[in-house]
Amino acid sequence: MELKMNELTKKFGDFTAVDHMELSMTNGVYGLLGVNGAGKTTLMRMICTLMRPTEGRITCDGQDIFKMGSDYRKLLGYLPQDFGFYPEFTVLDYLLYIGALKGLRPGVSKKRTEELLAKTGLTKVAKKKMKKLSGGMKRRAGIAQAMLNDPKILILDEPTAGLDPNERIRFRNLISELSEERLVLLSTHIVSDIEYIANEIWLMKDGSLAQRGTAEQIINSIPERVWTCLVDKGMVPTVTRDYQVSNIKARAQGTELRILSQEKPFPNAVLEETKLEDVFLYYFGEKAGEEDDVF
Amino acid sequence: MMFFEAKKVFSKPINKAAIAILAAVLVIASFLTIRDVTYVTSDGNHISGIKAAGHLQQEKSRWAGDLTEDVLKKVIQENAAIASTKEAKSEDWRENEKAFAKKQGFNDIRDMISEGFSPIENYDYNTAEGVSEKEVGELYQRRLSNLKIWLDSEDMKGNFTENEKKYIIDQYENLKTPLYYEYADGWKALMDSQYLLTLVMITLLVLGFLVSGIFSDEFSLKADAIFFSARLGRGKAIRAKMGAGFFIVTIIYWGTLLIYALIVLGVLGFGGGECAVQTGDNWLSLYNISYIQDFLITATGGYIGSLFILTLAMLISAKTRSTVFAITVPFALTCVAPFMQRVAIFAPVMKFFPDQLLALNKSLDDFMVHEIGGVVFSAAGLLIPLYLMLFFVIFPALYWVYQKTQVK
Repeated sequence: MELKMNELTKKFGDFTAVDHMELSMTNGVYGLLGVNGAGKTTLMRMICTLMRPTEGRITCDGQDIFKMGSDYRKLLGYLPQDFGFYPEFTVLDYLLYIGALKGLRPGVSKKRTEELLAKTGLTKVAKKKMKKLSGGMKRRAGIAQAMLNDPKILILDEPTAGLDPNERIRFRNLISELSEERLVLLSTHIVSDIEYIANEIWLMKDGSLAQRGTAEQIINSIPERVWTCLVDKGMVPTVTRDYQVSNIKARAQGTELRILSQEKPFPNAVLEETKLEDVFLYYFGEKAGEEDDVF
Repeated sequence: MMFFEAKKVFSKPINKAAIAILAAVLVIASFLTIRDVTYVTSDGNHISGIKAAGHLQQEKSRWAGDLTEDVLKKVIQENAAIASTKEAKSEDWRENEKAFAKKQGFNDIRDMISEGFSPIENYDYNTAEGVSEKEVGELYQRRLSNLKIWLDSEDMKGNFTENEKKYIIDQYENLKTPLYYEYADGWKALMDSQYLLTLVMITLLVLGFLVSGIFSDEFSLKADAIFFSARLGRGKAIRAKMGAGFFIVTIIYWGTLLIYALIVLGVLGFGGGECAVQTGDNWLSLYNISYIQDFLITATGGYIGSLFILTLAMLISAKTRSTVFAITVPFALTCVAPFMQRVAIFAPVMKFFPDQLLALNKSLDDFMVHEIGGVVFSAAGLLIPLYLMLFFVIFPALYWVYQKTQVK
């Protein structure tokens, strides 16, 4: 299975959300990393045939996905960023309905629903109304609906948004478990979501790919090195103005800063191992700080 | 899949409340309709409802049969006899009620005589009192001659084309006389009361609540992305929504109307359905139909009108993605349109609006005819096929519009 994007572009008036993207995906987990507004959701919605590109095309094994229509959509599982559901439906009803939407025969749909309820830990709340579920449970119901048709292509848009750290870890493990033998595209602005599970990471910025590769390749792609140093509290504004600072931690002796710099910024600075979140800061700069939970 | 679409509709709290309101309105309308049948006892007291119906049925059964000249003469005789009693001549209205109590068996026929011998534009309840036994035999001819006088009057100048006049006269001439009469107060209460129209309008408004969200709720609930990315989201699932809308409208409309009719007729009696509508409050009607046919035409007209209006609401819901906007369509067409019709400038156009279909029983006496391309149609004859055709145009458009949806 190969999903390919050629010169893929989406414009909303004068604004270009996705700009001439050239990409190719086969089985494996692809982590799409970028700040809000980078074009991740637009890209995913085009892949899900929810909106047509302004230019370019997306093919699945050489065939235009929009021409394939339902033949393509039967391969697809999608969990959108704003996961909407029918509040008065029970979890069971909801999944059976989505099973019907996906064209599953009632018997198959029931069996798959039971399997996925067990896998996502929702069996006990199967008769509960969707509106009564916690945020984490709703997300799990979301992933269950995406998996109902055992999709060959699984698209997950910000699946961990709004989850607490425990739920986020559970969710990450669940995705990892479900990702075997299929193409998974997972978008996030949270580095830790994909750091360990993605085979390939795409950094998306202003509608284009800023960088792509394995976590190691991405980390090695930046010329900057990472340093930690202890400075007086009063110096922090000056340092953050002059350098890209990925972390600030208050200590009894002063403030510990994690700085991106090619040269040693201060005599007492200690060279550290570069992490993916440092790379995120390097590529996305100020915009990275707009999100509270970027790292 | 249609089952789930219906479940989505009926599980919404606001829709549950709307159905509860409709059920309450149905009960109240049935009660009020039944209560409208009144009977005056021999001591001048009024009773209503099932007891009144029982008395009326007994008294009117004496007059069952064809309304021939002999029967009409007998009515004039009995009416005159009662009019000469001291109760009828009394200044005390209670005494007058006692006199009226004696007329109730033939009062419908007496009313027809009053109608038949009054000028069309100037009905007088007491006209029957002045009609002699000799002239009452001309009742059916009078109906026709009064019509011709009225159509040729100054007031009617320019209101009808020659073809339209001919059509109306032909309809009058085609009325099968003598009219057959029997107790039909159940049907008359059902068709001639104002509650049927109120019930149809409220049913339509409630249905507006139910179906307006079928398409737009996917957007307001943000469930659209999953819906349209699913295998059947741009095909069978849309047809399931359309099917759900169609069946909800069909089942609730006919369910409400038939329950109402069964309650009213069950209590007041099913008899008299074969009587011509002219034997009730519709002496002037150009529709040569029985009460059963009146019910079928009115119910079918209301159904086609509702189907069109509610499909339009669903189309607007699919296009604008707004449930609120969609709900305004049935409201505007049922509640605002009748007011617009009272404005002279809009009146000629408004008589083609689908709200006309919701109360065909109320327009039986309206002489509403339309000439198109030299052919004259009655309101029912034009509007029912017209809106049925329009429904067949917009119903597939619903599929086409929703299928093209782009999720941004």
